Amino acid sequence: MLNDRLTIALSKGRMQDGALALFARAGVIIPESELNSRKLIVNSADGRYSFVLVKPGDAPTYVQYGVADAGVCGRDVLMESRADVHEPLDLKFGRCKIAVAGKREVLGQDYNLLATVRVGTKYPRIATDYFHAKGVPIEVIPLSGSVELAPLLGLSDRIVDLVETGQTLKENGLEVIDVITESTARLIVNRASFHLKRIEVGALIARLTEALKP
Amino acid sequence: MSSLTKIPAGVQYFFDDEVKLRRYVERRAMETFAGWSYDEIILPMFDYHDLFARGMGQENAERTYRFVDRDSALLALRPELTSLVARTVATRFIKRERPVRLCYSGEVFRYDEPTERAAREFHQLGVEHIGEPNIVADIEVLLVAAEVLTALGLSDFRIALSHVDFFNGVAEFLKLDEANSAELRELIDRRNSLALEEFLRTRAAHVEQSRRAGFSRLIQIAGKRDAIERAQEIMTNERSRAAVEHLDKIYSTLIALGLEENFDIDLGDAGGLEYYTGLTFKVYVPGFGVEIGGGGRYDNLIANFGEPEPAVGFSLSLDGLADAISMNDDKRRWQSANDTQTISFDDDPARAFDQAREMRRLGKKVKISAQ
Repeated sequence: MLNDRLTIALSKGRMQDGALALFARAGVIIPESELNSRKLIVNSADGRYSFVLVKPGDAPTYVQYGVADAGVCGRDVLMESRADVHEPLDLKFGRCKIAVAGKREVLGQDYNLLATVRVGTKYPRIATDYFHAKGVPIEVIPLSGSVELAPLLGLSDRIVDLVETGQTLKENGLEVIDVITESTARLIVNRASFHLKRIEVGALIARLTEALKP
Repeated sequence: MSSLTKIPAGVQYFFDDEVKLRRYVERRAMETFAGWSYDEIILPMFDYHDLFARGMGQENAERTYRFVDRDSALLALRPELTSLVARTVATRFIKRERPVRLCYSGEVFRYDEPTERAAREFHQLGVEHIGEPNIVADIEVLLVAAEVLTALGLSDFRIALSHVDFFNGVAEFLKLDEANSAELRELIDRRNSLALEEFLRTRAAHVEQSRRAGFSRLIQIAGKRDAIERAQEIMTNERSRAAVEHLDKIYSTLIALGLEENFDIDLGDAGGLEYYTGLTFKVYVPGFGVEIGGGGRYDNLIANFGEPEPAVGFSLSLDGLADAISMNDDKRRWQSANDTQTISFDDDPARAFDQAREMRRLGKKVKISAQ
């Protein structure tokens, strides 16, 4: 069952255009007709790569289980999933911050004076790790979108979310309190594929590295 | 019981073809082990929790299922089999001639992170080769593993070789404390080149720039013979060099045996269990996205139960092997032909059963039907 074609899981949405542009610079072209179709699996023009388009949060799962040999996803998703995969390249696009934010009134408030911090977030693990590292008890309120609503409606004191420009926060009267970490798109690789398709994976990394050079 | 249909997370039931396949895998593996003179040992399902903590370290022992004995002693379901073998050899096999070669087949039980692929109950097949410090034992267990995989028709397998002293030598040379060393290990293990460069710039600032650049290429040292040559160029510290030399000797033998295609050098493999002291290896097969097994040399483990003794071994996941085979394989190899003869039970029961008994004597499969 050893074949030479690599299967790559691409995150749809925020990351998709950046990823396709980078692959195009690396000489991996997906025909327009394929992209405009509603196919979930599309092939590159040279037939060497198959791309599966997945929900961003799922990319690490496809790669960890080996149904995709490699994948592109944000560092935020990777940290949250704790997937056991190789992470050989920073692809430099999709740059944003994972930050703690809240209403202006709470900006100066000391976490340590709170019994528990209530945090609305799409990133329960990142949020928990961050507050635990500070020794602050946290109650996570898991949300899957429009996280900015939580402090406005009094569902939570703080949010932990992705911040690209900060515009959404500002328009909703929220501000960044602390930046937890920076996130960019990453190339991830399945541990078994790294060995079983070492030549092909190595070639992909080399092509992308070349394409990343300014 | 909450419900008759609910099953505890991680436990498994097998039936039909899956049972036949699993028994086939176990039989072929155990036959191969026996062919290399490994004697089977049957081990208890549970033992004192302390035994596993001594063997695998406190952190791993925390993943066990625990319960108490009548005298309140803490017991644990076995999370692995090596500690049980090590204790047996160190305490009860003192007077036996060395080396001791043992093999086993059995289920182990662990609480796992929900993201981990492994079930909580899984079946391991493995060998332990105890009392032989020579490199010949390292090579032997690699060949035993290779033969099992070949015997199961998984001839596209890949075994990636590494050596713990390669990384230890680097950490020592960079004068890293334990926390920094653990961080470096993690970065190398995930092949995170950018973070590795950043780490070296901040935590190993005393090392000159050109050397640092060499270290940041560490994670790319995977391949065939060329990987060994590249490692020799980069490494100047004695400990890492000795590790590379050791791997070179093993690899030369594997090449001479025509096994180059199946074996890789992967010095970027720095993860895994702390108890290894020399050679380490991981086994991969197409169709299974995670390692299917692994092993290495663990010269310090036996000393936890008695006199220090060198040892090397490996285990393979029966579940993983069965998965990989059912994905790739021609089922005829492990399914017996459907040659059951049905005998109708009519007015004379003795006649039907007599006929059945005669066919059984000839080695046929029979089924008695009431119709």
